[in-house]
Amino acid sequence: MNKEQSAPKIKRETKNSIKVEFDRTPFWQRFKAKYLTTYFLTKVLWAIFRYVLLIGISYIILFPFFTKITSSFMGPDDFVDATVKLIPKNFTLDTYKYIFLENKYMEAFKNTLIISLSAALIQTFVCAMIGYGLAKFKFKGNKLLFICVIFSMIIPHQTLQLSLFMKFRYFDILGIIQTLGGGSRLLPTLNILNGTTSINLTNTFWPLAIMSMTGLAFKNGLYIFMMRQFYRGVPNELEESAYIDGSGLFRTFISIILPLSIPMMITIFLFSFSWQWTDQFYTSLFFTKNSYILMKNVIAIPESLNMTYAGSSLYNAAIRNTCGLMILFPLIIMYLFCQRYLIQGIERSGITG
Amino acid sequence: MNKEAEMKLVSDVPKKRRKSASLDKKTARGGYWFTLPFIIGFIVIYIPVVFESFLYSLTTIERITSGDTYQLLWVGLTNYQDALFSDPSYVQILTSGLFQLLFDVPAILVFSLFMAVLLNQKMVGRAAFRAIFFVPVILSTGLISTIDSGNQSLLNYMTDTSTGISTGASNQTGVTEIVNAMDIKYLFANMKVGAGIADYVVDVINHIYDIVNRSGVQMLIFLAGLQSISPAIYESCNVEGASSWETFWKITFPMISPMILVNLIYTIIDALTASSNSVMSYINSVYSTQSGQENLSVAMAWIYFAIVIFFVALAAALMSAFVFYQRRD
Repeated sequence: MNKEQSAPKIKRETKNSIKVEFDRTPFWQRFKAKYLTTYFLTKVLWAIFRYVLLIGISYIILFPFFTKITSSFMGPDDFVDATVKLIPKNFTLDTYKYIFLENKYMEAFKNTLIISLSAALIQTFVCAMIGYGLAKFKFKGNKLLFICVIFSMIIPHQTLQLSLFMKFRYFDILGIIQTLGGGSRLLPTLNILNGTTSINLTNTFWPLAIMSMTGLAFKNGLYIFMMRQFYRGVPNELEESAYIDGSGLFRTFISIILPLSIPMMITIFLFSFSWQWTDQFYTSLFFTKNSYILMKNVIAIPESLNMTYAGSSLYNAAIRNTCGLMILFPLIIMYLFCQRYLIQGIERSGITG
Repeated sequence: MNKEAEMKLVSDVPKKRRKSASLDKKTARGGYWFTLPFIIGFIVIYIPVVFESFLYSLTTIERITSGDTYQLLWVGLTNYQDALFSDPSYVQILTSGLFQLLFDVPAILVFSLFMAVLLNQKMVGRAAFRAIFFVPVILSTGLISTIDSGNQSLLNYMTDTSTGISTGASNQTGVTEIVNAMDIKYLFANMKVGAGIADYVVDVINHIYDIVNRSGVQMLIFLAGLQSISPAIYESCNVEGASSWETFWKITFPMISPMILVNLIYTIIDALTASSNSVMSYINSVYSTQSGQENLSVAMAWIYFAIVIFFVALAAALMSAFVFYQRRD
């Protein structure tokens, strides 16, 4: 059957183009060779399987958000109407309006913004500094210090909640205030502070600020670990050339190292800001008075919407979810802008054990 | 004038040399400067807090309202005895909580590794999927997870189709199950792997939302680990004709094993602080509702922590025998 391959026949020739006819393997054979192989078929099957799985899990993640959003627009009647499922019949914005007006949303927003923003900024900077110190300098106790960081990550703060509270309720650094206040056994006559033996720091920002500044706040061990891994991948030559040019340690850090690590720092800022924003543990531990309105106080049923009827348990759940949505709103906006950096930062960190 | 200046220069040189430390010493000092905040915090705040926390578990607090101070009364191991033998529900909640932990941790680890491998592959819409998968890390913590835990009725209401076409999936207890347990059990019975695994898989699938929510950071860590594996290794594997299944077990798995150890520890510690953790919420309720029982709650927390840290140490010791470290530098 082997035909001799004939020279291509010229079909049509003009000045600018030429059409040639030559023998080709038939379409069906080409198709078979290319697409009906086990290699190609397994690849297609795997792709389908992968997309089904990914879309399915994305649905699992996003569906609760959809229900929260749609139920936040439903009026009270919709929760007893069996025909209303996901699309509201009595479209209303009352839920948002009353939460905004009666739950002091703006005040909570302002207070929480101050706390979260400053805590996150301090934590990002301090963790970057500590991570840099651990990654780039060889000094006595470097390894021990790193073990201490891991150690501080391992004991959950829930275990320490009573002593954390007591520490900041009766705050004192190494007994200095107690000594000045005349409370110590060694110098009882010294009484500069009129018998004050400690400072009450609860219901102020200070407990969180102190913990952030010393790298001990929520999951700061993880941030330090991430920063350390990131800086270990930064070549030493950068700093060496800066030193040769006469730049000091801190100037090198501020003007060369920090700009390099911006994706990683945005990741850490995103984590610490959003975890502080929705935090419940520290705010209820350190802010015992309810007069200081924070996001945790927003979650309540507004007076005007408080009613008892057949669907009230569902309606109240929907209201509480709307509160959650309103709390999340700034975070969602921030996430949309920052997720690019989040993924970039993680990819560059190359965390290795 | 000239001579004097020269003399000065000459005399200056050795002085300066003596003053300036060697580069090593300088950088060592720099290291202390950079880590100073943590050193101070660890010594002044953290160690006392941990020590006092342990002390509180052995004492009771009496507040002296007049002088704005407090007094500790030594009670020895009474708090521990109370927690283990007098408290009506602590031991029961503790054991069920520990079993829950044993159940959750492997599920989260396997799931996050699998998802990280999937999200690491090149495909259309990878960035979008990654963004969606990391949503729970940011948006389902703290206050929101507390709201979510009271949400089951609303979700059921939204997904319940019993008024429309009956699918038979929703059972009478009101919990909507994603898969029917009977189907999976039937499937596994034919595969002859035992009823225990079937129950486990059914449970995992029905708690998938919880597991997805809690495996965000683990996925990030795995993804970062996968990124650090050199593509040249995969290439040579491909050339030698290894299938992707073989490549996963012979290349990816050993290379990612340090990350598995890190994630194992992280998952256990994270599960300790999760608001869905029944033991911790019980301890919290003891702390906040029963006045005068704060020390009891501390003792409970230490017992729980000691048991869990024992498991962590055991698991880490077992794991570290299998962990493969690629030598670099």
